[in-house]
Amino acid sequence: MRRPSPRFARQDSLLPFIDRLTRVDISSLIDSLHPLEIKVLSAFGSTSDGLLEAEQLAQSTALEASQISMAVEWLLAKSLLAVEKETVTPIVSLTKIGEQYFEKYSPIERVLSVAREAATTGKRLTIQDIQSREGLDPSDVSGAIGCLKKEGALLIVQGGCLESTGRPSPTAETMRGLLQELHAGPRELTAFSDSQQRVIQTHAVKRGNAKEPFRVDDRVTRLLKLTAAGMDAAQQLSRQGAGEEVSQLTPELLKEGGWRTKRFRKYTISLRAPRIAPGKRHPYREFLDSVKTKLVSMGFQEMRGALVETEFWDMDALFMPQFHPARDIHDVYFVKDPKQAKSLAEPFLQRVRQTHENGGETGSTGWGYRFDVERAARLVLRSQGTAVSAHTLASGPLVPGKYFSIARCFRYDQVDATHATDFFQVEGIVLGEDINFRTLLGLLNLFAREVAQAKEVKFLPAYFPFTEPSVELHVRHPRLGWMELGGAGLFRPEVAIPLGVNVPVIAWGLGLDRMAMVALGIHDIRELFTDNLELIRSTRGAV
Amino acid sequence: MPTITIFRQDLEGLLSGSAKSKPAVTLDQLDEWLMLVKGELKGQNLETGEFRIELQDSNRPDLWCCEGIARQIRIKQAGMAAPYNFLSPRKPPTKQVTVGPGTEQVRPYVAACTATGYRVTQEGLAQLIQTQEKLADIFGRKRRTVSIGLYRLPAIEFPVSYEVVKPDSAKFTPLGMDTVMTLSEMLLVHPKGLEFGGILAGHELVPLLRDAKGQALSFPPIINSRDIGEVHVDDDALFVEVTGTDLPMVMLTLNILAANLADRGAAIEPIQVVYPSKTELGQLVVTPQDLGKPRTLSLSTIEQALGQPLDAREVSQALKSYGYEVTTAKGEITVRLPLYRHDLMHPMDVVEDVAISRGFADFSPVMPSQFTVGGLSRIEILSDRVRDLMVGMGFQEIISNILGSPQLLCDAMRLNGTEWGRLVQVDNVMSQTFSALRQWMLPSLLRVEAASSRAFYPHRLFEAGEVAQPDPAHELGSRTVMVIGALMAHADAHFSEIHSCLDTLFYYLNRTYSMEPIQHPSFLEGRAGQIVLDDGAMLGVIGELHPEVLERWQITVPVVAFEVDLTKLAG
Repeated sequence: MRRPSPRFARQDSLLPFIDRLTRVDISSLIDSLHPLEIKVLSAFGSTSDGLLEAEQLAQSTALEASQISMAVEWLLAKSLLAVEKETVTPIVSLTKIGEQYFEKYSPIERVLSVAREAATTGKRLTIQDIQSREGLDPSDVSGAIGCLKKEGALLIVQGGCLESTGRPSPTAETMRGLLQELHAGPRELTAFSDSQQRVIQTHAVKRGNAKEPFRVDDRVTRLLKLTAAGMDAAQQLSRQGAGEEVSQLTPELLKEGGWRTKRFRKYTISLRAPRIAPGKRHPYREFLDSVKTKLVSMGFQEMRGALVETEFWDMDALFMPQFHPARDIHDVYFVKDPKQAKSLAEPFLQRVRQTHENGGETGSTGWGYRFDVERAARLVLRSQGTAVSAHTLASGPLVPGKYFSIARCFRYDQVDATHATDFFQVEGIVLGEDINFRTLLGLLNLFAREVAQAKEVKFLPAYFPFTEPSVELHVRHPRLGWMELGGAGLFRPEVAIPLGVNVPVIAWGLGLDRMAMVALGIHDIRELFTDNLELIRSTRGAV
Repeated sequence: MPTITIFRQDLEGLLSGSAKSKPAVTLDQLDEWLMLVKGELKGQNLETGEFRIELQDSNRPDLWCCEGIARQIRIKQAGMAAPYNFLSPRKPPTKQVTVGPGTEQVRPYVAACTATGYRVTQEGLAQLIQTQEKLADIFGRKRRTVSIGLYRLPAIEFPVSYEVVKPDSAKFTPLGMDTVMTLSEMLLVHPKGLEFGGILAGHELVPLLRDAKGQALSFPPIINSRDIGEVHVDDDALFVEVTGTDLPMVMLTLNILAANLADRGAAIEPIQVVYPSKTELGQLVVTPQDLGKPRTLSLSTIEQALGQPLDAREVSQALKSYGYEVTTAKGEITVRLPLYRHDLMHPMDVVEDVAISRGFADFSPVMPSQFTVGGLSRIEILSDRVRDLMVGMGFQEIISNILGSPQLLCDAMRLNGTEWGRLVQVDNVMSQTFSALRQWMLPSLLRVEAASSRAFYPHRLFEAGEVAQPDPAHELGSRTVMVIGALMAHADAHFSEIHSCLDTLFYYLNRTYSMEPIQHPSFLEGRAGQIVLDDGAMLGVIGELHPEVLERWQITVPVVAFEVDLTKLAG
């Protein structure tokens, strides 16, 4: 069953409330009382002296003990109640062992009874006999014998044999009486005689000796008293009558106008709101969305491509020679089945092959090796977003034209805090008669300003297999300091011309993962794709 | 590309050349200079004066060493390159390397020279070894196309022969070993034999370099002889050879090594290589040799590409101070690369060198001015709309790896051996965790659900993204499809709940659909449906996840989910 919990169930959040208590008047205090508190306060109000014990409260309020103790704690915290007196009463009860003794008799009773039985049959009885017959612990047996011997109920004769003297054992009798009385329920220690108390104390569980029949616990009873403020509150409650307060406005109260005669319990509105989980975009996707929006606003058209590519479009068309180190088995994921594409588009294949071998129509010397068409048809997981640009070049792009893609790419990398096996690349191209090295720098300036909010930039010479000249864009990010934002260049004629493009083309790529990680407050690239829902829910994202 | 270690003192020494006073290299200055070589300072040790530098340009192996970096800076400072006199020797070479028949089957080419008068220093030796390793490893594709050997010249009697032999017929003590062994044994037990032996796999005869006395110099491309092929500090006469499968690359590598040694003060003596038959450079080839061919291009090409007016003098000065030989004529310019470069494929390569030599800061940025219209693809517009609607219905978006494991994509979904269980798999698997492209979205969502039992419920998750579906009829064997997947997980999760979401989604997309019962192993039977468009196109599935699926994911609340093919929906 769910406990009726007040709106301000948090202990810590009561503190500012208490602090303000001296300054608020009684009626607003009453308005904010919880129904449980009102019941308890009223119970105190109906006494003559404002004094009650918790047990009495249970009778007069008909509340459960847990509810009472909750309400009392709140009222104590609000200084409406005070502890008048605290009484500590030792209470005796039976332990599990005690209950067993009640059922099957205690060791002392059993030893005595065995000894008496032996006396009637005339059998000789040793300590070992008792232990094995009764299945008792040696320490229990020796304790019982010691006590019986002291009381004169037992004798140890020659050969270590036991003999009953026929005299009674006060301890055994007291024990029996106690077990019976306490089986009925716990009682106060003081209700027992001195001799009984001695037996109880001797056989009560203590530190280091848990195997005893009795337990003595201190019960703390508090006598509670209304404070002066509590008295006022209780009087006012009885004057206005508790029944009129409601906690919730209902459709009935509205329809019938009953709300006019009700009072509404006031809430402590400074308390923290309960948490909810809203529907929300993923913070990393939100970041990428903002980049996407930015690029569209700068006049870029989106391009899309396939996750599985041929080596031809992923690398050959980008004038990366087939012996290029980045085309190694250790850099690219190859597809298992099928291993090759059914066909490669002409006239691009022939033109690219010639360009690699001898430059073809491009005015280049080419790489001067034999191009392997079989290799070009091999299927790989797209390793660079530039593959998407290559397709666009081959499909008759607009001139002037600007294109971008946010493409998932795959690298054969050991996954760690800075390397992901699949990741987004933000890449694109710009085609136009006015494209040259200086407009390339101009475009990078624009990216620096718009994407990274950077005012300072540095252009460094760089190398990419498919661009010449090539530039690395470094920016001074407002929070990160100098960082590499991206790489770009003019597509080599060996790339553009075979794909049918005869105007200069800028190829650019932005490295945004570091910016994204800072925006999201994470330090491990793997967390961009985290499976931790709590983390995704609680991340604010880039604002 | 390679990252190399150089030492401040060594760099300073190479920069000053014969000058007495050594300039102190500051870090700012180094940054500035590194722009000339596309280098990036990756780290430094102030105590040892060590710099770690990454060189970006894979077509400029001459820059992968301290000598090359210093050379490019020196030329810039001097405004032009000093010629290497070994390229125009006063008398023909006296020393020969003779190439035996059969080498053309294994490793046809060799180039060599001697270098005397440079006393090898500690730093110089470290650079020699580093250059040898970087060139053979990266430029020479792990020694397959090019490998390099350095030897103590006094121990060698010319002519040296380069020939092929039976691996059991020759023996010597290799570097790193104490005993004489045959070439076969080296392939079997020597670390370099194990590492590079694959290059010679399948060949019955293997290369061997021997001098006139018959003593082995090395077993290229595997290992040198310990007796002759180990260079020490204070040696002052070296024999350098390069062998390989590509003549221009072999020649270029030797040219780089010769220039490096000459820069350190050695006198280079060319060697004549005698081939058994004609090569593309003839039967008798003198090495090192400048193979650069002049190239003529118009000034306007350069101006147009750079977007800046430049006159012949400016272009000529920029290129000369970058190491080119330049002559200008009316509106045209004829250039020739220095001997240690072989990377002029297209006039654009010259354009970049003009820009680098003048410095990128010399070119003021200009905004591209032509008007273009921006926009998103149809599928992206649809996907964005769907994402908005899902968010409005209270779903949290997630993003996942597209690469996953067959175990989670199929086994855990009870799809093994079914039509839904076909995957685009990776051939060169590095880790099973990332060995297949996801064929549908639900495993990505369950991945988050399985890890998030502590996040308060209900859980409503979605992801819009790409999956790869095998399709034998498709040119690439698979199609890349954009899908939306959504799930709800909580103690009372129910089919009708997720159905309401699907229904709402389609209402606002203004599309009608119908639902047909489906037996799908991932869902409880009788509680799964397939989503069908009016034209009969199958769009996806919806249902209550099968308890066995949940068990396999160790999920302990009921889960309901749907998945819709947005590519099909976009039509």
